[in-house]
Amino acid sequence: MAVRPLSRPVEIYKHPLHKYVDAVRWLPPISALDRHAVLALFDSDCGSSSVEIHSFLNPKTDASSTSAMLTALTTWNPPSRVSSLKTTLIGHRPFIAVSTADGSVYLVSAHDAHTLVEIGAVHEVHACPVSCIDLLEGGSECVSVGEDGKVNLVSFGSSTVTNTLFFDSNGLVSYSAAKWASPNEFATGGLDFGLQWWDRRKPGSPVSQFKCNWAQGRASGIIHSIDIHPSRKHTCLAGGSLGTIFAWDLRWQHEPIIFSESRIGVGSKHSVSESEVWEVQCVCDGRSTSTSNFSSSSRMLPIMMCSEDGILAVLEQGMNLLVISDSQMSSSRNVFHFWFYIFFRKLMAVFAFPIYSCKRTENTSSVNSQFRPKVCSCLQ
Amino acid sequence: MDCKTYKSVLKLDKGTACTAWNYCGQRLAAGTVDGTLAVFDSTDHASSSFRCSSRVKVHKAGILKVVWVPPEYGDAVACIFYDGGFSIWEEAGEDSHSVQWKLCEFFNRGSSKVLDIQFGVSPTSLKMVSTYSDGYIQVYELSNPLELKNWQLQAEFQNVIDSISTFRKASCLSASISWNPMRGGQELSFIMGFNSDTPQLNSSKVWEFDGAHQRWLPVAELALPEERGDRVYSAAWAPNIGRPYELIAVATERGIAIWHIGLNPDLDGRLPMERVALLSGHEGEVWQMEWDMSGMTLATTGSDGVVRFWQSNSNGVWQGQATFVHTS
Amino acid sequence: MPETAPAGGEVVPMSSGHGQPLAPRLSICWSRGNSLRVSLFSLASFEDEAGGEVVEVKLCDGGDGEISNAQWRTIAYDSVSPFAMLQNRRNSMSSFSNINPSPYHLECWEYMMDYSKDINVLLGNKKSSVDSLIEDPDIFLKKTEEPTCLKAAWELMEMFYVNKLSQAWLPERIVDWLADYDRLFAALHGTVHMKVMNFQNVHNDIEVYEDDLRYWDVIESALAVGWLEIAVKMLRRHGSYQLDQLSNRETENGLVEAVALLISKMPRMRSELEPGRLGECYKAKPDFIKAWDKWRGQITKLDSCAFWIQCHHGQTREGLKKLLQILLGNTNSLLAATTNWLELCVSHLIYIRPFTVGLESMYNLAQNCIQLKPMSSPHKLMNIIIGILGENTEVVLAECSKEFGPWMVAHAIELLTVGSNEAESLLHEERYNLGEISLEELHRLAYAQVLSSHALTWQIAPVYLSSCMKHGMGLLEILLYKQPVQLKELLLKNLEICRLYDLDDCSSNIMKMAGVYHWKHGRKGSGIYWLQQARDEFRLNKIAQQLFASVGKSISDESFKQWEGLIGLLDSESNAAGGFEFLHKYRDFKRSLQQIGDGKNDIAAQKAIDSLMLLMRNTSTPQRFWLPLLNDSLKLLNWQHRPLLSVSNTNLLLNKLQELSSARLHPGFVKPDLPAEALNSVRLALATNLGRAILEE
Repeated sequence: MAVRPLSRPVEIYKHPLHKYVDAVRWLPPISALDRHAVLALFDSDCGSSSVEIHSFLNPKTDASSTSAMLTALTTWNPPSRVSSLKTTLIGHRPFIAVSTADGSVYLVSAHDAHTLVEIGAVHEVHACPVSCIDLLEGGSECVSVGEDGKVNLVSFGSSTVTNTLFFDSNGLVSYSAAKWASPNEFATGGLDFGLQWWDRRKPGSPVSQFKCNWAQGRASGIIHSIDIHPSRKHTCLAGGSLGTIFAWDLRWQHEPIIFSESRIGVGSKHSVSESEVWEVQCVCDGRSTSTSNFSSSSRMLPIMMCSEDGILAVLEQGMNLLVISDSQMSSSRNVFHFWFYIFFRKLMAVFAFPIYSCKRTENTSSVNSQFRPKVCSCLQ
Repeated sequence: MDCKTYKSVLKLDKGTACTAWNYCGQRLAAGTVDGTLAVFDSTDHASSSFRCSSRVKVHKAGILKVVWVPPEYGDAVACIFYDGGFSIWEEAGEDSHSVQWKLCEFFNRGSSKVLDIQFGVSPTSLKMVSTYSDGYIQVYELSNPLELKNWQLQAEFQNVIDSISTFRKASCLSASISWNPMRGGQELSFIMGFNSDTPQLNSSKVWEFDGAHQRWLPVAELALPEERGDRVYSAAWAPNIGRPYELIAVATERGIAIWHIGLNPDLDGRLPMERVALLSGHEGEVWQMEWDMSGMTLATTGSDGVVRFWQSNSNGVWQGQATFVHTS
Repeated sequence: MPETAPAGGEVVPMSSGHGQPLAPRLSICWSRGNSLRVSLFSLASFEDEAGGEVVEVKLCDGGDGEISNAQWRTIAYDSVSPFAMLQNRRNSMSSFSNINPSPYHLECWEYMMDYSKDINVLLGNKKSSVDSLIEDPDIFLKKTEEPTCLKAAWELMEMFYVNKLSQAWLPERIVDWLADYDRLFAALHGTVHMKVMNFQNVHNDIEVYEDDLRYWDVIESALAVGWLEIAVKMLRRHGSYQLDQLSNRETENGLVEAVALLISKMPRMRSELEPGRLGECYKAKPDFIKAWDKWRGQITKLDSCAFWIQCHHGQTREGLKKLLQILLGNTNSLLAATTNWLELCVSHLIYIRPFTVGLESMYNLAQNCIQLKPMSSPHKLMNIIIGILGENTEVVLAECSKEFGPWMVAHAIELLTVGSNEAESLLHEERYNLGEISLEELHRLAYAQVLSSHALTWQIAPVYLSSCMKHGMGLLEILLYKQPVQLKELLLKNLEICRLYDLDDCSSNIMKMAGVYHWKHGRKGSGIYWLQQARDEFRLNKIAQQLFASVGKSISDESFKQWEGLIGLLDSESNAAGGFEFLHKYRDFKRSLQQIGDGKNDIAAQKAIDSLMLLMRNTSTPQRFWLPLLNDSLKLLNWQHRPLLSVSNTNLLLNKLQELSSARLHPGFVKPDLPAEALNSVRLALATNLGRAILEE
């Protein structure tokens, strides 16, 4: 896999938190100057979870004072551990949707960065932890999916939260990822690299399904993350097990566009990582690529990914690869890490609790790269 | 070694008589004297707080012992009752909402009471050994790995080396079974000892499944010749992570004996063995012995209400490492 | 039969008649790693509200609470990288050394030093309490963060075992070490550090320093352990330096300054001297000896000079004379100035035996000092020092284990074996009693087990286990089996570890466990997925057999959907067994049957009959389903509009029916669960159809 050097060095800031970081998102800016992150934390010592807003101070020139970079402003405590967290801006107010391990979905609004107010919740709409939720951009609706095979649509008003069971596979299909494509359409993903396309006007079954009928030698896995670029709603980007990242074009359903994959016997030759890809995102502007002609639909947009084995990378079709993380992350020194990446002036947050892995391998040349902490989420 | 650090994990129901943790320590099954099975689940794998997820009245008599079924066969327990029967209960459901504890099978052997049950996993099947107050051992096999209903009786025998003699008048108070905990290819085996009025039954014997003839054979007797009649209170087979011998602890009135058992049988089919330690420290009987995951530490407890930890030093000498006494 | 075992529920055989009645009954079970869960039952007091509880007991917590659990976790994570790096370098080195053994040792030292330094850094920042004293004249010793014994012990071992290149300067290194960590001994015994601190706390109340005995006492002690900077700084607080007194006490001041100057000119044999430190640095022994002799000469000269008579201040004279005695290495002065044997030992190394080399002579010196300043309960660091000086690896190891726990032992063993054949054979010799593993492996296993005890650290245990050649993988497998399979993230992590260490069987067993868990808990999709991943044909076939069970039965739309979905899930190229093929065809047949609906759709009916023929012709269709299939198709066979079956097809079906009739006579024939008249109805329908078909053709 070809690796292109970055035109600018990536700045990495670490912020140790002595808790599990279960999810992180940017809080949509309340004013132009604000930069806040929403963190879902879990303290294993006392077993309590919290959703916190942290102010993020851009350290600028004084890079020595990185410890004061994140400051907790306010906290809201969900009763169970957070499994997924999304944010959106409605009107001028940021909303946070939180799903929990006990199968509930909570809606929390941030009046300002110092106040988190629970609007309401639908309790135990899933019989297992909610795998994933997605908030409709700027809308008051949230899709939640779970391994129990339920697809719920949670709508919320100014003070009420209601739930509609949109589909129930009765456990025959398990869902692990969901993403809105438009106010009426969304995609879900799950086992066997399967993707489903849903239209809420046509309930009862998916409008379209994609089951990765991998050719011989391709291993199967689970989709962990889906992203759909707002300008290209027909293309569904998915990332999952074994470093697999592919795009499914609704118009060319039979053949996925593969960004990264592991093949049995071939190893990681075509893969940016051999591990679980936890999140994929379309990169929203052309800053990182030379082929920035995005109006031409023949090429895929560059994508950003992060994985269990600590890789944060930007990929382009045709295997041009920019690995951003790698060595920087391996030299991490604290038990719980929180990184902010400044990448081409735009901010991207990455969190991790380190899950180290070590390969028992005779090839000892790159020992450092074997000890990378897990990266669970990346966002722009 | 310091053992004073302890913390309370959960509160048990009134009348709880026995508990058992599942394979990963995330679930506790607790049986009460009124026949209720309570299951406690951890709220999160990283925290150690538990809450009760289910309480089912499983029998009219009280529950004497709970044993988890190996996880490859679902979330299920065997409950031994005071009245001498036992049953297998399983948590299952057709969909996520109908999951509940259900009775799979009830066993009753008439006038002889079941004393202990243990499950052994072979690559292809699940085996269950049950022992009874009349000195008999039964080995069952599960025919369908997805249904804990259909058990086939594979063998029935008494805990004696010489298979000719049977003891019809045996009366056993308690029994102790411990499977060789290692998974994998080798033949299944377990150790079994009785606490009875029949000396020949008492001493713990290693039973191995002879696949070629489909029968169970005694391959070792873990007692010195003069101590063969000693009542066995507890036996525990240590996990073997690579030792050239097996390690088994047997508790009798003389103390806790630690045995090394060779891996390969000698010419007459018996396994070479050596008693490497006889540990004393407990006052009264030792009811329970548990090896840790590496087989390096043995935890024991008994009628004195003390938990003792035993380890071998670097010269192979076994000694008490620590004790724990609960003071409330 | 068992007459002695009483009937009913009142007696508990396990405990009946044994033990004290009030003793709580216990039940024990190992949890993660080395924590034990103890259930405490309170059956005896059944009237109580409480029903007992479960407590978790940690067998070994490591250390004496000097370092918090969160800090230990930090240390645990941070030491993974240096440890693995060292193992990798050593592995590549040992394969390399076979060819060319000569560069081995030099490079070995180098990477051991890297390792030791990496570990040292993660144990905390080194804050020397001696340096930067110049700024505030009132502060002799800065109040810095309390150093840890852990770091002190690590530095000791680094100093003696790894940093062989600076062995020549060992005495000075010990002096530096004591300067850093002297305060750690304060808890048990007095220390020079404590003396200085005490004086610092009160010195503002003292008007005339030189009149106070404590002033001279502290300077003496500081000087004795080589804290030249403090001694000189305090000397300069002497009253004779004050401008108004300078003229009256000129000689006295001259003597004070002369002593201060001599102290600051003291030759020291060491590689370097940080800025602000006093003394003159000599790297080579001959230079040092020359300077040392000269310096001693100067002291002797000063000691015997005539100015002392002119010094009218008694305390100053006495005090300075005592300082000179210390500089001259007077054993009694050193004994009086120091508070414990370690300090005495250091003072001897500075002033009496600066050329001491070799552990044996140091050990003898230490023993002498211990005799001069005996201790009832020696400090843990002192025990380690004695162990190191006595070249007794076992003692060092035991002390490390006792005082600092398994982390220390697992990591320090690396240091102990550098360049020592005895230690190497002690630690690497495989012992039968330990299960044919070495002490080194034993301690790594023990540490990995401690890591396994906590949900936050179990995942770094594989790194240590993989360095255990004999038992590591066995323990790793057990560790992996003990992780809960119901949590997706944990399960995937578990499987990833299996993949990294080639534990294929373990991986497939774990997937089996996950598959059964999901299957039993109503998530059939996940269940089948994981069983397929585990390639568990046995269980998958059982599931397929369950699906067979509904063949030929009338099922509701909802359960047909479920059934159909399950067949869809079992659809996999890896499962090309005959049973699945049949199920798929049967599903198609069943589906088209359902599409017929009101019985007027000819096309759908024809499709259904085609599916039926496919099924009946196929050899993979079990014989026991023939009749149920035909029974299901009665509606088709009696189709109103036209006969759907051709003559040849009808004959084929009639033949099958005949075959079935004769099979009934065989033993082992499975009688289908159908009404008794089913066979006759089918036969009649087929006969009718045959007639209609003949007419039509």
